Amino acid sequence: MFARRTRGLFEFLMTLLCLWAALYHTPMGAFVRRGMAKVFGVRTSARPLLAYFSGGATPHPGDRVLVVPEPPAFVGQSAITPALALGLGLKAALHQLPEDRRRPVQDLARLSGLDPAKLWDGTEGAATSATLLARTAERLGSEDAAVLAIFAGLEPARYAADRCRAEGMDAPTLEALARHLPPGFEDAVGEASDALAFGTAYGLAWPVPERTPVTSGFGVRIHPILGTKRLHTGVDLGIPAGSAVRVTADGVVRRASEDGVNGRVLIIDHGRGVTTAYCHNSVLLVQVGDVVRRGQVIARSGNTGRSTGPHLHYQLELHDQPVDPFAFRSHRASGTPGVVSVRGSD
Amino acid sequence: MARSIEEILEQLRARVPGRVPGGPRGPRRPNPLNRASRFLAKFRFLFMPVGLFALIAVGVHAAADTLDDRILWVVDHVDAAFDALFGRWSATESWVHAIDLEDRTTIARAFALVWELLADLVLALPAFGYREATDRPVRGISAVLGTSRRRWRDIFRDVVRRPTVLRVTRPLATAAVVIAGACAIGRMVQGAVYLSQREWLGDAASGLLARLLALAALCGVLAAFGMRAVLRNLQHADEAATGTPGLRYVQIAAKGIPGSAVVIPLAIAALIDASPIWTFFR
Repeated sequence: MFARRTRGLFEFLMTLLCLWAALYHTPMGAFVRRGMAKVFGVRTSARPLLAYFSGGATPHPGDRVLVVPEPPAFVGQSAITPALALGLGLKAALHQLPEDRRRPVQDLARLSGLDPAKLWDGTEGAATSATLLARTAERLGSEDAAVLAIFAGLEPARYAADRCRAEGMDAPTLEALARHLPPGFEDAVGEASDALAFGTAYGLAWPVPERTPVTSGFGVRIHPILGTKRLHTGVDLGIPAGSAVRVTADGVVRRASEDGVNGRVLIIDHGRGVTTAYCHNSVLLVQVGDVVRRGQVIARSGNTGRSTGPHLHYQLELHDQPVDPFAFRSHRASGTPGVVSVRGSD
Repeated sequence: MARSIEEILEQLRARVPGRVPGGPRGPRRPNPLNRASRFLAKFRFLFMPVGLFALIAVGVHAAADTLDDRILWVVDHVDAAFDALFGRWSATESWVHAIDLEDRTTIARAFALVWELLADLVLALPAFGYREATDRPVRGISAVLGTSRRRWRDIFRDVVRRPTVLRVTRPLATAAVVIAGACAIGRMVQGAVYLSQREWLGDAASGLLARLLALAALCGVLAAFGMRAVLRNLQHADEAATGTPGLRYVQIAAKGIPGSAVVIPLAIAALIDASPIWTFFR
C-alpha cells in the first residue's frame, strides 16, 4: 500500500493515533494518565477506572460527588409537568456549576432569546430553565442532547446528536451522546448527567396516597429491630397491608425478588441514573424486564421481611446513591431522620 | 532521426542538479519526509508492538463498554438469589445488606473492568511478542509480519487440518476487536477534527474534512495493524498449540478454552455493538 520509504512515518503516525485513543478511551490509559499526572503534579481529566463503564446508569465521573439540592420551594407537586421537573433539575445543577463553566449555558440562553441571569433566579429559574430546555430540544430533536448542549455547548451536542442519528438512534441517551465526544468533555457530561437525574427525580410521583404518614424518615437512626445506629436509606410509609403500591415514573423492572430482610421487593430503573425500590410488599404484580408506566399498580403492600408492621419502604437512588425522596418534593412529611414510630418500620 | 530512449533518459538525468552529464548517476537527495520516515523505520521494532497493543486494547474496551449493562443484569439476578437464600435464617440475614444497590452497580463495573483486563491479557499482550522482519529479503506474509519460527504455510495448513480452540478463536476474536478499535479511533478523530475546525472552516467543510480524516484513520489503522494483529495472535496461538511436545491432539485442541470463553463474548459484542463502520459514510 505504501512505498517502503514512507512506511516508517505512516506506521509511526498510526501508532501515535492508537496510543492517543488508548490513553483517552480505556481504563488502562486512564491509569497511565493518572500516574503521569501524579508524577508531574498536574491536573488530569482521567476518570476513576470504574467510571469508564456505565453499568446501566448514565455515566457520572466517579470522583465528582453528587450534591443533593435543597428541596424546592414550589407548590402543587401533582401539577408539575415533566418539562418543569426537568427545568427544576437543570436549575439545581446550574446552581452547582462553577462560575468559569457557565459560558456555554449563558451563550445558549442568549441564542434562545432568554436572559441568562434568570436561570439562577430563585423564583423564575426553573421556568426559564424549562423554556431554555424546550427551545434547545427543538433545535436538537432530543431532551438529553439539549441538556448536554447546556453544559458542553450547542455545537458539540448537535454533533453528538447527529452522529447518534447516523447510528440509527432517534432519541439518543446522554450515554450514547457522550460516546461521540472527543476527550475534554468529561466534566460537561457529568454535569448534564446530574441535571437529568435531578430532573427525573423532581418529576417522580408518590407511590402511595399523598397524606400517608411517614413512620420513619431518611437518615441515620437507631434501627428498630437491630438496635444499632445505621443509615435508613429510604422512607417508611405506613399503609395497611394490601394497599396499592404505584410506580412513581415510567421505567423497567430491574428486580422482583424476595428475601428475609427486604421482603418482597421491586427495583425499578427509570433511566438517567434514577432508580426506585419498593420493599416489604405482600404481592408483586410485575416481573423482571416488564415495562411499567407512571401510576401503575406494581405491588400490594405488606409486612414481609424484617419489618415491625405493615408499611412500604420507598427508596430513591440517584447514580446509585440513596437520597431522601422528600428532597425532591414540595413539602416534607411528618417523618424526620432519627424518629421512628413503633409500628410499620424496618 | 529519432533519438533512442537511452539518449532521452540521459538528457533527463542531466537535469538532475549536481549530476555531470554522461557521468555516473549522482546521489539522489531524499526529501525530508523520506529521511524522517527512514529514520523512524529503524524503530519499528519498538513502536509497532506498542501500536498493536494499543489498538487491541481500544477495541477490547469498546466491546466491554457495551457489555456492562448485561453484566449488571446478571449481578442483579445473582444478588437476588443470594438474598433469597441467606435471608431465610436470622444468623445470615444481615448478609442481605452486604451488597446494596450501589454496590451492585460497582460490582458490575468491576466485573466489566476485570473482564476487559483479562481480554487484554489474552489478546493484546501477545502483541509484545511481535518481531519485525530481519534485513534479509522476505516476501509475502513474512514481509508484513516478520518471520515466524514455523513457516506461515504450515501454520495455515494446521488451522485447516488440525484446528484447535486457540487457532480458531484467537485470530477471529482479534479481528473483531481490531475492527471495533479502529471504529472507536475513527470516531474520536471525527469528533476532535469537527469540533476543533468548525469555527475556522465552517460547518460543511469541517464536517467533510472530519469524515475524510476519520475514514483515513480507520483505514490507516486497519492497514498498519489490522492484519498484523490477527496474524500475530495466530502465530501466538500456534506456538501455544505446538509448544508442549507429547500432547495428544485432543489435549492440544482443548487448550485455551478459558481464555476463549473470556474473549468470544467480547468479540461478538465488538462486532454487533461496537463496529458501526457504515456510520462513517452517513
